Amino acid sequence: MPGGAEDALLRCADEPIAVPGAVQPHGALLAVTEPDLAVVVASANAPELFGRPVAGTSLDQLLDDSDTARLRAGLAGDLAEVNPLRVRLGGADVDLVLHRADGLLVTEWEPVLGAEQAGAAWHRRLPTTLQRLSATATLEELTAVLARDVRALTCFDRVMVYRFDAEWNGEVIAEDRRDDLEPFLGLRYPASDIPAQARALYATNWMRLIPDAGYRPVPLEPPLTPSTGRPLDLSGAILRSVSPVHLEYLANMGVVSSMSVSLIDNGKLWGLIACHHYAGPHRPSYSDRVAAEFLGRTASLLLPTLVGAGEQTGVLEVAHRQAELASAIGRTPRALAEALTEGEVTVLDLLPASGAAVRINGQLRLLGETPPADRVVPLVRALLAAGAPVTDAVSRVVPEAADLAGSASGVLAVEVVGGQEDFLAWFRPETLREITWGGNPYTSKTAQTDAGPRLSPRRSFDAWSETVRETARPWREHEVTAARSLAALLTGTAASRAEEDNRLAAALQRTLLLEQLPKVPGVALAARYLPSEEDVVGGDWYDIVPLPGGRVSIVLGDVAGHGLAAAAITAQLRHALRAHLLRAPGPAAALDGLNEVIGALLPGELATAIVAELDPATGDVVVANAGHPPVLIGTAAGAAYLHEGRGPALGLLDVADYAETRVHLGDDDRLLLFSDGLVERSADGLAAGLEDLRAAVGAGPADPQQLLDAVLGALNPPRTDDVTLLGVART
Amino acid sequence: MLFDVERTTIAGRAALTVRGEVDIATSAQVADAAASLLDTAPAGLVIDLSPTRFLDSSGARVLVAIARRCAAGGIELHVIAPPTNRPVRLPLELLQLDRVVPLIGSAGELPSVSAGRETP
Repeated sequence: MPGGAEDALLRCADEPIAVPGAVQPHGALLAVTEPDLAVVVASANAPELFGRPVAGTSLDQLLDDSDTARLRAGLAGDLAEVNPLRVRLGGADVDLVLHRADGLLVTEWEPVLGAEQAGAAWHRRLPTTLQRLSATATLEELTAVLARDVRALTCFDRVMVYRFDAEWNGEVIAEDRRDDLEPFLGLRYPASDIPAQARALYATNWMRLIPDAGYRPVPLEPPLTPSTGRPLDLSGAILRSVSPVHLEYLANMGVVSSMSVSLIDNGKLWGLIACHHYAGPHRPSYSDRVAAEFLGRTASLLLPTLVGAGEQTGVLEVAHRQAELASAIGRTPRALAEALTEGEVTVLDLLPASGAAVRINGQLRLLGETPPADRVVPLVRALLAAGAPVTDAVSRVVPEAADLAGSASGVLAVEVVGGQEDFLAWFRPETLREITWGGNPYTSKTAQTDAGPRLSPRRSFDAWSETVRETARPWREHEVTAARSLAALLTGTAASRAEEDNRLAAALQRTLLLEQLPKVPGVALAARYLPSEEDVVGGDWYDIVPLPGGRVSIVLGDVAGHGLAAAAITAQLRHALRAHLLRAPGPAAALDGLNEVIGALLPGELATAIVAELDPATGDVVVANAGHPPVLIGTAAGAAYLHEGRGPALGLLDVADYAETRVHLGDDDRLLLFSDGLVERSADGLAAGLEDLRAAVGAGPADPQQLLDAVLGALNPPRTDDVTLLGVART
Repeated sequence: MLFDVERTTIAGRAALTVRGEVDIATSAQVADAAASLLDTAPAGLVIDLSPTRFLDSSGARVLVAIARRCAAGGIELHVIAPPTNRPVRLPLELLQLDRVVPLIGSAGELPSVSAGRETP
């Protein structure tokens, strides 16, 4: 905006509009005392109207006796019921309008001659008009009827209904106009077009009229009211002279005459009925203006219901979508992301937004117009971290996201608790990009034509554009509520799914762990399994496989990972190894076979296993180890790890070619197999854990059951991973 | 426990420096960081486990997956795990991960980036 216009607006904002010290010339003003009606302040044009000097006189002298009597009778009651008092001055009809201000009776005298009269016909139609207003079901209908009837009543060239947003920017939402005028419907005006002090005035004074914007203000005499020492308060005066800046604004739009009626919703200025006349000066009669004000007041009473109904419509639609999404989630609780993004109704349909993002189990899916995938997660994370997950001005919260205004000036993000930083998010673009035009402001016929500070619809639109840059249509309360409810539903679904997974995995794990160790002649066996406290199911398994000829394979394995997936793999490996042990010539060959199974059927998985094949009759033990912690042998001389015969973890190489090593288990010796959960979280690391274990076994009792209890007591492993121990001795 | 994967450059190569504990809770972050780095098709990748204080089998599984992807894509991979860093080195040795994952003891063992090029 050029400096001149900006200065004009700033001047305007400072202007004392309630006390201009002047009136418009289409009437005269006298402020008088009560009860003697002595003239204290008069407009400079009063002598002309009354045909005599007014200073020092009283209304008793200026009016004839019968009019004086009617006036005095009216003063005893409600002044609104008196207005207007039709009196005769010098043979002409004059409408006298009364109100009180600054302790004085303010009398305004408006000649009837020169005023436009809608006539009795219109007033007879008033009941029909009121019925039409109150029969409207939507805000659009109400405002359209209002514009049409106010124009029919007042004969202005253009009547607009103008609605303020939360920042006091205005939008033309209804219009009735002379056919040859370009439409202003849909135009936006910045808050600065109607400064704050004017809005404050409009909230109490319902009606303003400027019959001729080219008027010369008529000063009040004396300028300062003697009783207050200040200019007379004209905020309630119908003749109040308006700001020169406003007149300039009207002139720039080609408006010769202007009238506005406030629309007030629950005590707050909601909008205006703005009337413009271009053809020349235009002054509807006082009673027609009162009728227009009456229509405005009636519409104001209807506003709460219709505005509420409009919001209710949105609420019902959102609630309907929410129910549809909830039922989609209910049908496929194990495929939440698909349910939200691939069905007939998606998260993008839940509420009015141009894009949506769904992050479930760490997987991001985008719908509609969104920022690029690599920007979405950081943006949402930043908004959540800033405690502003619902915003219509993203760049004010996250300045570095300003370049995303085209797709994400507004973001509504909700966390899905319990996932991997999961969330739902909706995006709205910069409001400017959403505007649809009733008329094109860029071809305005009333645009700037000469130099100097000019205000015009075009300029107003530009100014308004600046105020809404990088902001989006605000998120409504019920939309935020619906988004949160959906996220809560997902959280609940994910939680119950996790519970269900845990139940399944626990059931699966129970099949992996032996209810009861098989009785193997000549062998004493003990087993302990401590599940992880952080994740119900780990990947540990153990097995005792009696072989033909009295030998027995003792197996302990561990699949990398936790949860249902790991448990399922564990089950497969356990059964596969069992089959290979029964068929293969020895433990190494069985592990080779198991390694092939992983390579072929479970690519990408990693597991470890150790197999100790014991011949109870001789005490010979053959050990093969696939990446597992070594077996520990306790003897009377102490305990030692069997470091030989080790090979790579299962799944690491296509062909592992495991080796075997042999040891002898004496009558009083014992073997200990264990999973890494027993030792890896030792305070001083895995190596220290292994050493502690060796010491505990070396010092521990010979009986396998007692030995395992002693080991667990000594090492007291943290329950972050599952822990498995197998103790073996000969009997 | 503080855990963090930082994108760095070591001896002229794209690198990930892994601090803290790599376990079931954090290994996915190593996998994600490596995946997005490998998406840029670097000539080489270094994973520095020098400041890593713990590594369990889920971390080992991630390293194997990275090694396979590098091998398939012709990307030269080096994993730095100093012999003195026993909490990391020992599990890798037990699993014999070095048979798939190229382990080195320090950044000093990295071949020079320009090695093999003829100088004018």
